[in-house]
Amino acid sequence: MKAVGARLPRYDGVAHVTGRTMYVDDIQVPGTLWTKALRSPVDHADITGVDLSKAEAMKGVHAVVTWKDVPLLEYGHLSALGIPADEPLLAKEKVRYKGQPIAVVAAEDEETAQAAVEAIGVELEEKPALFDVRKAFDTDAPKVHHWGNWYPHFEGEMDRRQIRKGSIDEAFEQADLIVQGVYRPAAIEHVPIETQVCQVVPEADGRLTVYSCTQALYFSMGVVAAHLQVPLNKLKFVGGTVGGGFGGKVDTATETVCALLALKSGRPVKWRWTREEEFLCSSTRAPWHMEIADAVTKDGWILGRKMLTLHDSGAYARFSPYGLTKHSFHHTGAYTIPHLEFDGYVVFTNRVPTTAMRGFGVTSVSFAVEMHMSRIALELGLDPFEIRLKNANRKGDTSPNGIAYTDPSTIPTIKAVADELGHELSADYRTATSEPRTGEWLPEHLVGQLGNPEAH
Amino acid sequence: MAVHKGRGISAIEYPTGMNQNGDPSQAWIKIKPDGRVDLFSGTADIGNGSKTIQTQIVADTLGVPYDWVTFDNSNTDSSPVCTGTFASRATFVAGMAVKKAAESAKAKLLEIAGKELEIDAADLEVADGEVTAKGAPQKKISVADVAVAATWTHGELITGTGAHLNPYAAIVDPETGRVDLPPHAAISYAACAAEVEVDDETGHVRVTRLVQCFDVGQAINPTLVEGQIEGGAMQGLGLGVLENCYPYYPSVEHRGAQFGSYLAPGMEDLPQVDTLIIENPSAGGPYGAKGIGEMANNPQPPAIAAAVHDAIGVWITELPITPERVLRALDAKQEPRRDGKLVAFDEELSVNALSDGGMKFEVPA
Repeated sequence: MKAVGARLPRYDGVAHVTGRTMYVDDIQVPGTLWTKALRSPVDHADITGVDLSKAEAMKGVHAVVTWKDVPLLEYGHLSALGIPADEPLLAKEKVRYKGQPIAVVAAEDEETAQAAVEAIGVELEEKPALFDVRKAFDTDAPKVHHWGNWYPHFEGEMDRRQIRKGSIDEAFEQADLIVQGVYRPAAIEHVPIETQVCQVVPEADGRLTVYSCTQALYFSMGVVAAHLQVPLNKLKFVGGTVGGGFGGKVDTATETVCALLALKSGRPVKWRWTREEEFLCSSTRAPWHMEIADAVTKDGWILGRKMLTLHDSGAYARFSPYGLTKHSFHHTGAYTIPHLEFDGYVVFTNRVPTTAMRGFGVTSVSFAVEMHMSRIALELGLDPFEIRLKNANRKGDTSPNGIAYTDPSTIPTIKAVADELGHELSADYRTATSEPRTGEWLPEHLVGQLGNPEAH
Repeated sequence: MAVHKGRGISAIEYPTGMNQNGDPSQAWIKIKPDGRVDLFSGTADIGNGSKTIQTQIVADTLGVPYDWVTFDNSNTDSSPVCTGTFASRATFVAGMAVKKAAESAKAKLLEIAGKELEIDAADLEVADGEVTAKGAPQKKISVADVAVAATWTHGELITGTGAHLNPYAAIVDPETGRVDLPPHAAISYAACAAEVEVDDETGHVRVTRLVQCFDVGQAINPTLVEGQIEGGAMQGLGLGVLENCYPYYPSVEHRGAQFGSYLAPGMEDLPQVDTLIIENPSAGGPYGAKGIGEMANNPQPPAIAAAVHDAIGVWITELPITPERVLRALDAKQEPRRDGKLVAFDEELSVNALSDGGMKFEVPA
């Protein structure tokens, strides 16, 4: 029997629905200490003093860890790609968002850990905070990040992600209509049922066993190894079964801190975020700001697109530069547009850092592009299916960065939905296919962009 | 006061694998003395079904029944690198790694079988747990007997390793964004229609039906593909009409900190979901598969927003489309500014409306 293509039951389905799957929170290790974090109560401040003496002296408290205990304090999510780090594991001189961890405590039980957190003396000098990505983007805005408000390290030294193709001026000149709009999807939470959680056990042989809910075992192990400055054989990550991630558990939110507490206390340590911490302190999908101006002809061709994107990164960069680059590569959506001018910025504000989430970088642009297409169709009095079929990318068309499409399905997927709805397409569009452009499907403005679909 | 019906559509594309590639996955396989198969993969299963998918791929590639294969991703001492379960890469990139590991184990298996049958390994094939001679199926040996022979006769361990890495696509021109290689492992496509009912008194938007078609390349497991698409539809619906970390965005005040104060979609929000699947195979994926895990929540928000316009004649371009936004939009009945060729929507939202420092979005008039 062939397995591929068969409706086989989920490998772990019975265990999930009968409650027998072992998640990180189900691991029980005798002698485990509980972790609580002192988090910034304000959006932006200088830290002028931290007094641990009362907390450390409390009965039942086994370790308090601050930035001073971290061998490598800053290690970025994209450091492995050579991108500089900007976020300390625990805040050092500044806090840049409400909820940012400053110190962590491991104690005999949750209540003691919480009491110790409350006993930490912290002095903060509050600074003005910025939340509107448009204001933070402006050149006269107060700076909320030591790099400035724009992430400055695209391709080493660029402060924006650019795409240029064809001639946008020519497109605007030839256009019958220029349609402009602004699109702003919200920040949303990943809402995993399993909140961020880990358990670290210091073993007799000097290794650390890290029970982790990460979506990426080796990535998170690399992050912990970098902060601790240890080789990978000092760590054993146990996991692979995640109670909901959606991108949020690519962040290595708890493992490093627990490892430090386990090393300092010599005891197994566990940290399970509360639902409030998950909602308020874990990273979110970014809120995006996108402006599009499309040069269009009366009969529905999209000649050119000018676009500005502001990716609200929150207080630190995390994966945002990666997400914005991916966004830029897909800013024409499922269509072929020959003349492009895209500028995208990762902009820092004082909200909780944003991160990867299902559809990272593209969910936003799909929303913007598709709403814009619906508006253009209505402005021109064209069928919304047909204007999409008309501009749909076909084999041999090229992407914003010049790569030929090899197996596009924009046309068959649109036609399948039209059929299912009983929406009658005109004869020209009923017979449209994804095959390379010829005849009426190859107007003058699309000739120059053609590539070779067999080239790769 | 009335309930208005509307319909909107969208068409999207989405890359498989990390943007610009360069994201490796590895796997290895060992075969027990009775022919049963242990697969070690580093791929976390986040509910996306990668344990099932990778097991299916290995069963068919190796030519053994599905339930002979045990999947282990439990720890980094025994499992090799997988960059991770994100970027819609687990089926394609990690799937290719396990497929290559199975091909490698199969080569070893056939080598031992060839010794047992005294036939060149190149003339053997394996399916359903049996090794047979091509064109002479009466000459055969079970995979179990091959494993026995490997262990007790030949003193060998049948293993296979596999790794997959789509080469990193560099941006060769930062000014234009041009790349030297395809920056994706594959691209998947989808179209979606949303039908809504909008109450012009309360502002409530109810999504009543989603019709969605996805090109998945090859459905390794149709049930799991449909699960991804339907689950994604609900997440997209949440993004479209319900969820917001910052209800008074850009303010960070009044955030929902509990399920009672953060509106994630629940079963009562579930519309009729009609799922259509197209299989337009990828050139480089396992059995032609493409990754659709993430894009499953991308087409709904714009289709819903267009449907809301179809229903009540207002464009709401800030998500989510809450009752408050619907009622404010109905009150404002904002028209675009028309000036020569220009049709400018949403000018009040533009950076131009706030900029004091000179950052503008400029479009020729």
